[in-house]
Amino acid sequence: MIDSTTNSRFTNKQLIIIYTIISLVCLLIVWELVARFTSASMFLPPASEVLTAFFRSFAEPIGQHTMLFHVGISLYRVAVAFLFATVIGIALGVGMGYSRLFEAIFKPLFEFIRPIPPLAWIPLSILWFGLSDTGKFFIIFLGCFCFITVNTYDGAKNVDPELMGAARMLGANERQVFFKIVLPSSVPYIFAGLQIAVTAGWSAVVGAEMIQSNEGVGWVIIRGMSTGNTVQIMVGIVAIGIVGFILANLTSALERRLCAWNAQKGI
Amino acid sequence: MERSEGNIKKKNPVLECRNVGRSFDSYDGKGKNEVLRGMNFEVYENEFLVLFGAGQCGKTTLLNILAGLDMPTEGEVYANGEKVSGPAPERGFVYQKTSLFPWMTVEDNVGFGPKVRHLPEKECKERIRKYLDLVGLTGFEKSYPSQLSGGMRQRVGIARAYANEPDIMFMDEPFGHLDAQTRYMMEEELQRIWQQEKRTVIFVTNNIEEALFLADRIILLTNCPTHIKQEYSITMQRPRDYVDPEFLRLRQLITDNMDLTL
Ligand SMILES: Nc1ncnc2c1ncn2[C@@H]1O[C@H](COP(=O)(O)OP(=O)(O)OP(=O)(O)O)[C@@H](O)[C@H]1O
Ligand SMILES: [Mg+2]
Repeated sequence: MIDSTTNSRFTNKQLIIIYTIISLVCLLIVWELVARFTSASMFLPPASEVLTAFFRSFAEPIGQHTMLFHVGISLYRVAVAFLFATVIGIALGVGMGYSRLFEAIFKPLFEFIRPIPPLAWIPLSILWFGLSDTGKFFIIFLGCFCFITVNTYDGAKNVDPELMGAARMLGANERQVFFKIVLPSSVPYIFAGLQIAVTAGWSAVVGAEMIQSNEGVGWVIIRGMSTGNTVQIMVGIVAIGIVGFILANLTSALERRLCAWNAQKGI
Repeated sequence: MERSEGNIKKKNPVLECRNVGRSFDSYDGKGKNEVLRGMNFEVYENEFLVLFGAGQCGKTTLLNILAGLDMPTEGEVYANGEKVSGPAPERGFVYQKTSLFPWMTVEDNVGFGPKVRHLPEKECKERIRKYLDLVGLTGFEKSYPSQLSGGMRQRVGIARAYANEPDIMFMDEPFGHLDAQTRYMMEEELQRIWQQEKRTVIFVTNNIEEALFLADRIILLTNCPTHIKQEYSITMQRPRDYVDPEFLRLRQLITDNMDLTL
């Protein structure tokens, strides 16, 4: 931990930000030096070049579109797939956690699908959905839905039976126990799942966009690869990294707001 | 029976425990672990009954069965003449570990019973106000359980149970986790609440002072398999004094009787 008493000029939060910035700057300097002065320069363009190209990409199009459009279209694909994954994942997870029957029916099927990496589905998805956006949604969906299901299932399994007993004792029927106890007490687990899933879905977008596309950050990288443009590949990677970072922070901020009651464990 | 002239009118019992026994499958899965055996007793209207026994003797198991949260493997329980077959809002439960709903505010916890039973909105509001006032928590409506102290949480637990206006209240060592100071205070509070809002209360404890301070009648339980060792009718004037000679005498009498069974 950073001790705030020894350095009273900055708060803990400010210090953390300062250290983060220092670490980033160091990374960039090392990258720049390695790319300029070692033999790695053959495969690794210098940081300055990548960053200029990155900022330029917001004004000058890569292919037919500027970077903002590429990021936007990729985000749209992730958002659609993520929405489906959330609804189906929560329903399946809570269902399996709450009902033995539901668990017996769906758990084996789910456990069978779970270890298959999303990219393994690409050939089938082309066969089933052709080269449309649907195929991309499908791949991203598979990339994030398992995380949501597993976490929700965990949450619904771990509901304190005494809380369910208390609710029944106070007159709640089974439907009320489900919606007022099982579901809300799974919310922190669901959020943990959503957080992993949003990052996983965002990483799956590259794979999904490998299926014939003309836009998207994944396409920027694939396109860079096929034209031997290393700078463009790195620009795509930087964009994916930055957006992923922002998404992860947004979901955890949302979690802090919605699960404020969970701040202190062990009540 | 310690005293002949009890202050309980022996009319129809509100709760009857008939030959109740409870066994669990033992942990190796082979044999049976008998926790309760042949429990017989009645509880009368507006009586404060204390079930007193050592730790781990099966007090929670017994209380769960009486409340309908668990089923006995032998015998049966009758509430107002009807066989108990599951949880019901006519019976209220205050838990050992409070078991508040942590994602709900204090007022939502207290209003949970009236709301799930679809009482009119106005009635729900009125009950929340009344019972938070009863336990002295007015002003904490919007707090979450995690923001309250242990004693305050247990007050919410009591208000939540009272808000359903049940016939019988079950309390499972509600003050067991509190520090001694808070505990004395909560015992006095509970006595005040019970005198103000008369209810039949079945209260479980392993603390003899708590038992003597609160009870109209004490049932002394033995260790596993648990059965009833002795009953004591407590007729001392309320509020009771921990160093009153009669208090000390009863304390000695009951703990002596208890030690023999360990
Ligand atoms: N669900 C269960 N399955 C198996 N055994 C159980 C179960 N519940 C209770 N027991 C057994 O019954 C015994 C009594 O448990 P119980 O919780 O009723 O005791 P208690 O008197 O309330 O204890 P404490 O003073 O700690 O509250 C325990 O030792 C345990 O072995
Ligand atoms: Mg107990």
